[in-house]
Amino acid sequence: MQPLLPRDHTGHAPAFCPEYKSTRLRAPTQQLLALPDDIATLAGPVFTASDLGPDDDDLLVNAATDGAPLGERIILHGRVLDEDARPVPGALIELWQANAAGRYRHARDGYTAPLDPNFGGCGRTLSGADGAYRFRTIKPGAYPWPNGPNSWRPAHIHLSLFGPSFAQRLVTQLYFEGDPLIPLCPIVQSLPTPGDVARLVARLDMEATAPMDAIALRFDIVLRGRRASRFDGQDGA
Amino acid sequence: MSCPLRETPSQTAGPYVHIGLCPDGPLTDLPQRSLGAVSAPGITLQGRIFDGAEAPVSDAVVELWEPAAGHWARSACDDTGLWRFEAPRPPGPAPFVTLWCVARGITIGLWTRVYLPDGAHADDPVLRGVPEARRKTLIATAQGADAYHHDIHLQGAAETVFFDP
Repeated sequence: MQPLLPRDHTGHAPAFCPEYKSTRLRAPTQQLLALPDDIATLAGPVFTASDLGPDDDDLLVNAATDGAPLGERIILHGRVLDEDARPVPGALIELWQANAAGRYRHARDGYTAPLDPNFGGCGRTLSGADGAYRFRTIKPGAYPWPNGPNSWRPAHIHLSLFGPSFAQRLVTQLYFEGDPLIPLCPIVQSLPTPGDVARLVARLDMEATAPMDAIALRFDIVLRGRRASRFDGQDGA
Repeated sequence: MSCPLRETPSQTAGPYVHIGLCPDGPLTDLPQRSLGAVSAPGITLQGRIFDGAEAPVSDAVVELWEPAAGHWARSACDDTGLWRFEAPRPPGPAPFVTLWCVARGITIGLWTRVYLPDGAHADDPVLRGVPEARRKTLIATAQGADAYHHDIHLQGAAETVFFDP
């Protein structure tokens, strides 16, 4: 397997973001050290359909007890690509989110908004041969969080990705086009540039909507690319 | 030569990461089975993860990767910040496993290594590249024949060495 390109940290938030208070005691202060390209970073776990449940990619039904979850029904889809714009097939995508009221089904979420007996908030799928993935879910609600006296997270969906190499491991969040809370959120605004924020915004995709059923949003995900891929034959060891 | 695309920016996993990554754990009541929960015979490796005030990071998820055995596993920390794995014994002259962790307040996943204490550490190229005073943050403590303990410190005098693989 070809070595990975070095991670370009200029497109990520720094570890310590003063406005995002949880980083103050959790951001490492020492510089990250380089690692050689070896099997520990280039290989990675392989996931197959047998790891997943039949409705893991359909949050409209996968935790329902007596009906459909409340909220705006959405199709979330896109492709997993690498930095060379090549599809990444077989990528495990795990997703978690609050319900339409902004409440997580988690013992430690004490927000006053109600749980939805028909919504769990956990989804998983594998990208196809062309890197494509697709979930059905509901649009999550915004919710307050104890960062400042009156802090609200914009509506967002958490995503976790594995590429073929463990060093491509990525966890991120996607946001919704036009959300007025995006410019106010210190987690989002810890990214270096508005262009980096724009890369985390899912966009309306009318062509992919299910008419009279669910609106569609498109979100492509880019994992680290491989160093030698454009120098084949010239990187003789 | 620049790439046509840039890596999607990382964002914190937040405090509710268990819903997505450990859905059948004690903090959630979801129907999905957690991935990476299968244990393997070999060694037990466990430890706590602490923040810069020595408080346990109870919302962390830690993943273990041991490529020689193709073994990957995931552990959700408990209220004391404890993570725990049963994994194949890693091979080689300086045996180690790779750990990766995320939590609220961690903006990009952190990679580290845990070397078993009885390896040829002086000959290991990665350990040799770590300032000597910090090498011990990468080496576990034996707690019996096949059991090891290793704490992770995100900040402070004992800050763990993290890597940029």
